[in-house]
Amino acid sequence: MKVSLKWLQEWVEIQDYLDRPEGAQQMADLLTSRGLEVESVHRQNQGLEHVISVQIIQKQKHPEADRLSLCTVNPGNNAYLEIVCGAQNMKVGDVVCLAQIGAHLPNGLKIEKSKIRGVVSNGMLCSESELGLKSTSDGILILPEKTPVGWKVADILALDDVILEIKLTANRGDCLSHRGMAREIAAALGRPLKTPKVPELSFASHSGGNKPIRVELAAGADAPQFFGCSIEGVVVGPSPGWLKTRLEAIGQRSINNIVDASNFLMFEYGFPVHIYDADKIEGGLIQVRKSKAGEKLKLLDDSEIVTTGEELIISDGVKPVGLAGVMGGANSEVSATTKRVFLECAEFNPTLVRRAAFRYQKRSEASLRFEKGIDRGGLKDAIQRLADLVVRLSSGVVVGATQGTRLDGGGGGELSQNQTTSIQTSPEWINAFLGTAFEQRRMLQLLEGLDCKVEGVGGDIQKPMWRITPPSYRLDLKIPQDIAEEIARCFGYDQIPSTIPALSGSPKARHGSAVSHRLETLDGIKNCLADQGLSEVLNYAFQSESWIQKFGFQSSVKILNPLSEEQGFMVPSLLPGLMKAYQENERHHFGSEPLAVRIFEVRPVFEGSKIEATSETETGVTETWKLAVLISGPRFDQAIKSERGEVDFFDLKNVVESVFERLGTKGIRYRATVGQASIQSTVFHPGQTLQVAVGKDPVGFLGRIHPKLEAELKLRHPVYWAEINVEPVIALTPSQNRQFKAWSGFPTMERDFALLVKEDVSAENLIQVALKFGKPIAKVVKIFDTYKGAHIPEGMISIGIRVIFSDEAKSLEEKQVDQCAEVIVKKWSEEFGASLR
Amino acid sequence: MSDIKAQIAEKGTLALGQITAAAELAQLEQIRVSVLGKKGSLSEALKSLGQVPPEERPVLGALANEWKSKIEAALETKKTALEVLAIEASLEKTKLDVTIPSRKPHVGSLHPITTTVRAISKVLGRIGFDVTVGPEIETDFLNFEAVNIPKDHPARDMQDTFFIGPGVVLRSQTSPVQMREMRNQSWPVRILSPGAVYRCDSDATHSPMFHQIEGLWVDRKVSMSDLKGVLDFFAKEMFGTETKIRLRPSYFPFVEPGAEVDVSCMLCGGKNHQCPICKGTGWLEILGAGMVHPRLFELAGYRPDEVTGFAFGMGIERIAMLLHGIPDMRFLFQGDLRFLKQFGVQR
Repeated sequence: MKVSLKWLQEWVEIQDYLDRPEGAQQMADLLTSRGLEVESVHRQNQGLEHVISVQIIQKQKHPEADRLSLCTVNPGNNAYLEIVCGAQNMKVGDVVCLAQIGAHLPNGLKIEKSKIRGVVSNGMLCSESELGLKSTSDGILILPEKTPVGWKVADILALDDVILEIKLTANRGDCLSHRGMAREIAAALGRPLKTPKVPELSFASHSGGNKPIRVELAAGADAPQFFGCSIEGVVVGPSPGWLKTRLEAIGQRSINNIVDASNFLMFEYGFPVHIYDADKIEGGLIQVRKSKAGEKLKLLDDSEIVTTGEELIISDGVKPVGLAGVMGGANSEVSATTKRVFLECAEFNPTLVRRAAFRYQKRSEASLRFEKGIDRGGLKDAIQRLADLVVRLSSGVVVGATQGTRLDGGGGGELSQNQTTSIQTSPEWINAFLGTAFEQRRMLQLLEGLDCKVEGVGGDIQKPMWRITPPSYRLDLKIPQDIAEEIARCFGYDQIPSTIPALSGSPKARHGSAVSHRLETLDGIKNCLADQGLSEVLNYAFQSESWIQKFGFQSSVKILNPLSEEQGFMVPSLLPGLMKAYQENERHHFGSEPLAVRIFEVRPVFEGSKIEATSETETGVTETWKLAVLISGPRFDQAIKSERGEVDFFDLKNVVESVFERLGTKGIRYRATVGQASIQSTVFHPGQTLQVAVGKDPVGFLGRIHPKLEAELKLRHPVYWAEINVEPVIALTPSQNRQFKAWSGFPTMERDFALLVKEDVSAENLIQVALKFGKPIAKVVKIFDTYKGAHIPEGMISIGIRVIFSDEAKSLEEKQVDQCAEVIVKKWSEEFGASLR
Repeated sequence: MSDIKAQIAEKGTLALGQITAAAELAQLEQIRVSVLGKKGSLSEALKSLGQVPPEERPVLGALANEWKSKIEAALETKKTALEVLAIEASLEKTKLDVTIPSRKPHVGSLHPITTTVRAISKVLGRIGFDVTVGPEIETDFLNFEAVNIPKDHPARDMQDTFFIGPGVVLRSQTSPVQMREMRNQSWPVRILSPGAVYRCDSDATHSPMFHQIEGLWVDRKVSMSDLKGVLDFFAKEMFGTETKIRLRPSYFPFVEPGAEVDVSCMLCGGKNHQCPICKGTGWLEILGAGMVHPRLFELAGYRPDEVTGFAFGMGIERIAMLLHGIPDMRFLFQGDLRFLKQFGVQR
């Protein structure tokens, strides 16, 4: 919101702030420190300090350039100056604006003595846009005849105001006006508020046959108060200069004296008001009621709305004439020929106004003020001020004033006084709450300065209890904490000391708590992956439906109001995001070597069937944290070619296994699941995939990207990726300190076997069988070689297996090891048809 | 007897000569066998000891052993010398161009958001805060009503929210975690809740998904000066001991009093009028804070007359950008390795 310091000066004495060069900034700092954040300070004469009025004495063509002219100007002291000018709209005798050497204009232009096509120019003649008066303009500004020469242009144009742009918080609707801001400043400076004298409405008799307009409130508590006033004999015309200046200073356009009066009232008092052309009110009635569905109304901005039955409208008994609190109707608009007007100043239900403004996308200065809550006790003052303005501006006569109260039978009666609730609190409590030692006397002063009524209601003089009644315009003061904030804000937050709170009892132990174990495990996973040369990425949790489907996934969680289709669905898998990141990196990779992409993400994925809040905490959406990994490209960041190589399946397998090995996670199984139909069959190469499982339950997959996807995505290098549900993994990761285990001090013994098996026999199974039937002395089983080709029958493979035996308690004997090895070989043969080569 | 003596000495001397002359390790072994082996010359000489009278045997035996030791020592010395020579000879063959760049494994990195959350948690963990997290898809109740933003409240304008289903939203702040936590445990509460939040906003300084971290401290007799003390400690630990904080009154529906918190500019300290970070104001707005509104305690099942508390929240992107000099928020979400790898595995 923009406020003018000169306008404020009419309400509270701040001429000293206007006069001092640093005064405007001081005022801004004062308001900011009280919670009314000033975003910018604009002095109207900023940049115009060196712009003066001059008269054109002579105008010639520039000798070197047809499109330029050379003017001789008199700056008032007959010390003529030559100026080169690009505009042509001036003539000899005109008074124009000269930016002198050294001027730094509002548009950023710095004026220096310069040669233009060989002729020295001693300044620049300015246009309105160059002076910051308009955004665009044609030609230079010609000042009125008889304008004195040699004066500062800022003084001639009365550009001596300072405009503050204020970012108001949602709770301070009372400050959405100059009066409201002035109240704050008056309280802050301890100066009195200057309230303009407004004459009581004088009621004239109705002239020739015009019936008075009757007001009917038919919306119950949704429109509890209405003040109306009829004025006749108005002459609609341009507003006087003072009014234009005020409105234009805060960025409002002047329309005519009547419309300007209502805008002025809104920006001065904070009340949204409306003025109707009374001759266009057909039924002699102003009725406030809920709309019926399907009523049509053309608004002031020429748009037409069709009502839903939810909003409040104003009707004249024949037709709707306004959308209450939001915008008036075009059918009752004040025009150049208007003779009679009807003024409306009313209170409407903030929620209904807000919803209507949203529904029709008509959020206006008026609706904004209703939404935040108007001063329910101030409507009568406001209509009197408005009537006085209209009368003075348009030579009209007040012929009738109406005061409506709600007709629902409930409440009723005198509504001019707000039913504000009082707040009980004590200065002692306030100090304890703030951690301060403010003086009771000062607190009382400050509260009274804010128009709060403070009464003692118990306690003693040392420790009184106060009943505080805030003024009707402070709708935000409801509880003792609000009063504490007023105190803190008025003293200044910088007056609050800094203390470190005591830990009550002993600090809570983190160790072993499920939450911290979970977070530590997630951190551990990230650390392990970063240690293996992978970079963590963060992708948006939403992707387009088609991108998600490309990988064979279905998203069940749709965003109802996405920013774009690209961000329409919450991801059911992290893999589509990783592929996006991969492609992003590939896109700007120009080298001849393949790009090494090694990335991971640890984030939740989303799933839901019936998405609806079924309780205060249930959404129907399941969030599962996953770990996703993608690697591709050279195995080393740097190595000579013969050593470099590109990553393959086993590099990926190692990345995943290493995470769990380092974390000490127990019970993770890896299973080849050839031919099993599942998500893996669309995402992973069927022959280069492992299922990761906890017990029998699959928790994820790792493998090479499916060649079909590889082709579809036009990948130039094979990509290996994995996605694993980390929730079950967390449970299998020890949170306790790892325990010491003794090792065997006796020598180990080894046996190597060359096994001939069918190709589809899984090496993992051979290992597991050896470990199972070699118990308790077969400790480690390694695959040290695989071979296919010469001397090996088609469909068979030779696998080199080493079994390492040891015993914790004694040296092993050859015979014992041989017996054990025999059992293992027998089992291999029985279970897999393996034979020794 | 003297015959045998002379024979031993002769053979020994011969062997020593051969050892000195040897040029390869293999020769030494030959010499060792020919002299000291079972059928070696010295051994043969000793075999003839049986023929001498018993009283002379000790003398001759000692002599023979003396020569044996001498020869063994000479063999050992020569062997070492030859080995050294052999190593020296191999050096040239095993010479490398040591200026070839090293074989480098890939160096990974953690996302700046991750490391920033860790840094903040570490600082505040020192004065008693614990980290906890909650879901990103929340009920309208927890996202709004539980933080004192009822339906049709003007404060709903402050946040443009993504909707998922009836009463279900993408959380627009991490505050729902506070209510979940308070409903789950009795006070005292000292928690930090970091995480992703969502608002329909996208430009150079806004991302539709971003991260916040909120702190909540609830206990008997917590005051606003405690809030200031904690924030002051945080700012100094995070940005340097010279850092100052400034609280300005502001409004958030879930706190009363509310404050915007500025920290002094860590780059220029307010001395540079053209400072790219603080734009010459000397201050950076990084936090919102305040005393917990009693309405929240009621909703949590706490008694507002028993406890007070403070809460604060900040955007993690903003802190990460300040700490690392990142000029554009969008870099954080593009997965570009040129960006990500700059931050390494600092944790």
